Amino acid sequence: MDDDRLTGAGRPIRSGRDGISDSYRPAIRATTFILLLSPPLASCSGVQSALDPAGHEARDVANLFFVMLIGGVAIWAGVVGLLFHAARKRKPYSEKGAGWVILWGGAVFPTATLAALLSYAVWLMPNIRPWFGEDAGVGRVEVTGEQFWWRVRYLDEGGAVAFETANEVRVPIGEPVVFLLNSPDVIHSFWIPVLGGKMDMIPGRENRLTLQAEKPGTYRGVCAEFCGTSHALMAFTVHAMEPEAYKAWVAARRKASGGQDQEGLALFLRHGCAACHAISGTEAKGTIGPDLTAFGERGSVGAGALPNGQEHIARFIRDPGQVKPEARMPHFSMLEEAEIDRIAAYLKGLR
Amino acid sequence: MKSFIPREVETLWTLFTAPTVWALHFLVCYATVAVFCAKGLASEVSFDTVRIALGVVTVLALAMIVLSAWLAWRQWGFGAADPPHDEATRNARTLFQGFATLLLSGLSFVAVLYMAIPMIFIAECQS
Amino acid sequence: MTMELGNFSPEERAAQEERLRKVWETPKGIRYWTSVNNSEIGLWYGVTAFAFMLFAGLLGLLMRLQLAVPENDFISAELFNQAFTLHGTVMMFLFAVPIFEAVAIFLLPSMLGARELPFPRLSAFGFWSFLIGGVFVCGSIFFNAAPNAGWFMYPPLATDDEYAGIGADIWLLGLSFIEVASIAAAVEIIVGIMKCRAPGMRINLMPMFAWYLLIVAGMILFAFPPLIAGDILFEMERMFDWPFFDATRGGDPLLWQHLFWIFGHPEVYIIFLPAIALMAMIVPTFSQRPIVGYSWIVLAAVGTGFLSFGLWVHHMFTTGLPQISLAFFSAASEAVAIPTGVQIFVFIATMLAGRVIFSVPMLFGAGGLIIFVIGGLTGVMVALVPFDWQAHDTYFIVAHLHYVLIGGMLFPVVAGIYYYFPFVTGKKLSDAWGRTAFWLMFVGFNVTFFPMHFSGLRGMPRRVFTYPEDIGWDWFNLISSIGAFVFAAGVATFVIDIFRPKQQPAWRDLNPWNSGTLEWTNDPAESWGMRSVPIITSRYPLWDQPNLQADIEAGRFYLPDAKSGKRETLVTSVLDAKPIQCLRVGGVSYVTIIAAIALGGVFIALTFKLWITTIVFAIITFIAIIHWLWNGTAPIPEVPEIDVGLGETLPIYVSGPASVGWWAMFITMVGDGTAFASLIFGYFFYWTIHDDFTTIANGPGVLWPVAALVLYVIAWVLTLLARELNEKGPRGARLALTAALAVSIAASFAGLAGPYLHEMDPTSHVYPAIVWIVAIWTVTHGIVGAIMQGYCLARSITGRMTAEYDQDIRNVALYWHFMAFTAVVTFAVLGLFPLVST
Repeated sequence: MDDDRLTGAGRPIRSGRDGISDSYRPAIRATTFILLLSPPLASCSGVQSALDPAGHEARDVANLFFVMLIGGVAIWAGVVGLLFHAARKRKPYSEKGAGWVILWGGAVFPTATLAALLSYAVWLMPNIRPWFGEDAGVGRVEVTGEQFWWRVRYLDEGGAVAFETANEVRVPIGEPVVFLLNSPDVIHSFWIPVLGGKMDMIPGRENRLTLQAEKPGTYRGVCAEFCGTSHALMAFTVHAMEPEAYKAWVAARRKASGGQDQEGLALFLRHGCAACHAISGTEAKGTIGPDLTAFGERGSVGAGALPNGQEHIARFIRDPGQVKPEARMPHFSMLEEAEIDRIAAYLKGLR
Repeated sequence: MKSFIPREVETLWTLFTAPTVWALHFLVCYATVAVFCAKGLASEVSFDTVRIALGVVTVLALAMIVLSAWLAWRQWGFGAADPPHDEATRNARTLFQGFATLLLSGLSFVAVLYMAIPMIFIAECQS
Repeated sequence: MTMELGNFSPEERAAQEERLRKVWETPKGIRYWTSVNNSEIGLWYGVTAFAFMLFAGLLGLLMRLQLAVPENDFISAELFNQAFTLHGTVMMFLFAVPIFEAVAIFLLPSMLGARELPFPRLSAFGFWSFLIGGVFVCGSIFFNAAPNAGWFMYPPLATDDEYAGIGADIWLLGLSFIEVASIAAAVEIIVGIMKCRAPGMRINLMPMFAWYLLIVAGMILFAFPPLIAGDILFEMERMFDWPFFDATRGGDPLLWQHLFWIFGHPEVYIIFLPAIALMAMIVPTFSQRPIVGYSWIVLAAVGTGFLSFGLWVHHMFTTGLPQISLAFFSAASEAVAIPTGVQIFVFIATMLAGRVIFSVPMLFGAGGLIIFVIGGLTGVMVALVPFDWQAHDTYFIVAHLHYVLIGGMLFPVVAGIYYYFPFVTGKKLSDAWGRTAFWLMFVGFNVTFFPMHFSGLRGMPRRVFTYPEDIGWDWFNLISSIGAFVFAAGVATFVIDIFRPKQQPAWRDLNPWNSGTLEWTNDPAESWGMRSVPIITSRYPLWDQPNLQADIEAGRFYLPDAKSGKRETLVTSVLDAKPIQCLRVGGVSYVTIIAAIALGGVFIALTFKLWITTIVFAIITFIAIIHWLWNGTAPIPEVPEIDVGLGETLPIYVSGPASVGWWAMFITMVGDGTAFASLIFGYFFYWTIHDDFTTIANGPGVLWPVAALVLYVIAWVLTLLARELNEKGPRGARLALTAALAVSIAASFAGLAGPYLHEMDPTSHVYPAIVWIVAIWTVTHGIVGAIMQGYCLARSITGRMTAEYDQDIRNVALYWHFMAFTAVVTFAVLGLFPLVST
């Protein structure tokens, strides 16, 4: 095609209709392709999906999203349809008529729609994140984001630490829980998508986030704010439990022991693990690294870096930096394989 | 009024009047609640007092924008001439300025109203 | 305007053209690089920015390769983190903003009917600064030293020496340098648009592009300085351990986030509006009619410009600020969607009212619009606080921002390149290649980024170098990675189309698209821009003014000749564009390159903490700039007035608010004042988070701050006195200037005496640190003010400044207005506020 001919000044100009036809057919093909592709992929379920809510806030927000999605698709289709119509129509509109399109389509309609949407969203805010004072009797959990793991402390009625754990959060369903969030090193962000939105953990500040689980299950939370080399490997397990089960777990956890495996414990202590790690009911009282009490029940090794299993624990002990770059824990590859395996077995056995 | 503000405003700055009012209103609202909440003044002044005060500021801001809109309406010849105002005359230029200022006043009015929505629905400093 | 147009015989015209050609000639050989002409600078700027874009695009592909499958180890976590940091940084700072400066510098003079922008050497200086800073920042990745804390550089991660290393310094100093270049471009663009339009081009006849650029340049003045202020605080913490963001010593990481996003959000619109401005030129051309809703576009541009400054906290919705604060920013974020919608509907209305020709530029424009609307709609969603609590920092945001920036910026820019390619080279790009590039880019883009909406909502956070299998992200990521390569193939097709050899068109056609705006009268083969500066009576002069092209080329309008042998352009009045001055602009020069290299040396040496080298380069920079100003600005002309054609004579030298130099000073100082305001914001920000802020450590006392305040005010009064006395004769002015200089120096000592004598230790706590930094800021400005007073004194003594030719002292007096304001605020806050606050 000699395209210079199409558009040159003072030379014949091809009509709009012809000019577009060959370019918009592929547009339809592309759109169809994308639409066909989406539905099978677009299912919402997942242990970390904001669209598969198991909590009060996540449910309201997912509903808000689906309403906006429908509205958004309609508006997009309307604008694109108008664009194609503008390109293809035979007779130009009057300037006045076109001016009305700007006034109603560009100004009045958005103003009204946005006002309604904004009002609803602002009304929703205090509804999904209400205020709970110090003595509201609501369960409180202090979570500290550290490079690259989570220190989790359950507080008792008086606000004192009842017990500590790591990389795992348990909540009773049907009750609000207040998370007190902070960080000693860099900014992290605490996020359990199935329960609700995220909240940053900022050094020097204590943020609060109230979440309420509604559906029992095991879910996944992650760090959402870039926090350094292994930001991608900073996840935690979330157990939403029936209130009785939760109470039983709390009671059990308060009198947890170091297990029966005295030989494993001895190795653990001999190689200095206790300088950083604590295990309730033993001499291990280190506070630098994650608490390892009941480690065998944890969902993962290294805050989501590996699945929990003896061989993975061993691998992590041997060289944490190889599994999780820039992890603070030193490597223990100088230990004998048998000893590492023994410690791993011990940890896996902790309940 | 006519004697107060001259009919012929020979400057580009009038265009920015209404958005500037929006900006000042925004700044006052943001700074007030930021200081109120960060300084923990809730024990001395109630949040509702702050809301009422900011409501008054909002009404004042809206009044100023309406004034700017009226002046723009006047500069636009009270809507006697339709756009596009693209003649090469001083008159067309003035009409264009009037119309553009009027549109900006409308946008600023809406933007200030949007700012009032949070004050209706949110009654505490909680995060 | 009814006046007799000029009429020249062919011999006269040939002689005129010969003289014009000689004056505007681009140097040959190595000296080519000393050129300052807007067409060269604009082109270099554009090509450089585009090259940076391709580099950052490759980094994007690298990331997509890594994320194609779960638990991939194609690249290391360290490299991945450097790659995404540089990808964002380069795309935002080295491509999106500079490409707009490039297009503006290239197009504006022709569009406005000017021979040149008012400060060509400033443009050249800006370009060289950009090139040096950009190469420095990008090159760092080859030494494994690239910034790696994200393009937003949040402390304390980015202030952690062990983690961020030298990369953070490279980011801070490299970009500060580029920000200086952007502010230089903003000054150039504002003054150019306000003062250098063709006679008769009233503000209601200005091309849409100029309206947008005027607003954007204004936004730069208010958006970039807060980041410069933030950079200063950040670098002081990194170099000297002043604890601005260290919570253990009273600092707060959130202050950086505020300052960064006060810059960062307007930045998005600074990127978006110029691209939309290109669309506002393209759509009328291919609808073959004037734009419908000219005033609406002005509303949209100005409205967006203002509202974009009330959005910054929507990047901080999850930082735990009070809900009411978040909701205010949510409200403004929704409001800004209104002017954006208006812009889109203006284009649609124009198409509705015209006959649309679907050429390649239109294809890219419409494709961009279709993409951008999706980005806009997801923008409305994430501006709602509850939804953002979920979507923030996930791939949903990655999808959103790419839909906005690629649909709203990259596609329109490519459309603009196809549209303006004949304007630059006289040749058109290929239609077939263009359509292929478009479809590859359009489909590739959507395949890459559409699935990210899903992966994000299914919980995938941003900035992860890997992700686990089986939590529902595998397929989305694989599809995104495949799409990325299709998209890249489209970009490659476009690049090949640009560089492949093209045939000279069969006939000379300056206006191949039948456009209506003035730039299409320019001949790309000549470097003089407009052959003669026409009188404009329409928004689309080429459609409405008969015989315009021929008359311009026949030299029948203003400035058809260059008898003086100097580069001349017209200055006109702001509203109605009446000719008021014949401005002489700077020509070919080495000084801009030397100044840029030396200033680059200062920043680079600072990065490596080479103090002596820093000082040496600073001295060279200082000498270069003084040399530049002394010889290049405000020269006393050989005759007071000059014949500009059409029987008119205009003055060559004007001073005060009528001069472009005065405006440049005014605009620069507005930006400077914004940076200062940001530091003061920092002071009060710390005050709000500490109950006992001003009593936590030693304060500067009352005596010395008040003394500094009074002395600076006296220096200001003396400067004004010098300006008045200068009109009567040099003696009184010189006396007043000498006194002012002495008082300024005394004031500067007094300014630092407070914190110094009270032994305020800036590393101990944030209170002394912020007091020191505000005092240093003001005293530095005081020293610059003293240098200016000395400069005026020297100009007066050497006869370069007289009672009649007094631009220097008038501009310096203007500087001192701002200086006095800065000093009063500074020392009232430092010295007197502690009395009130306790």
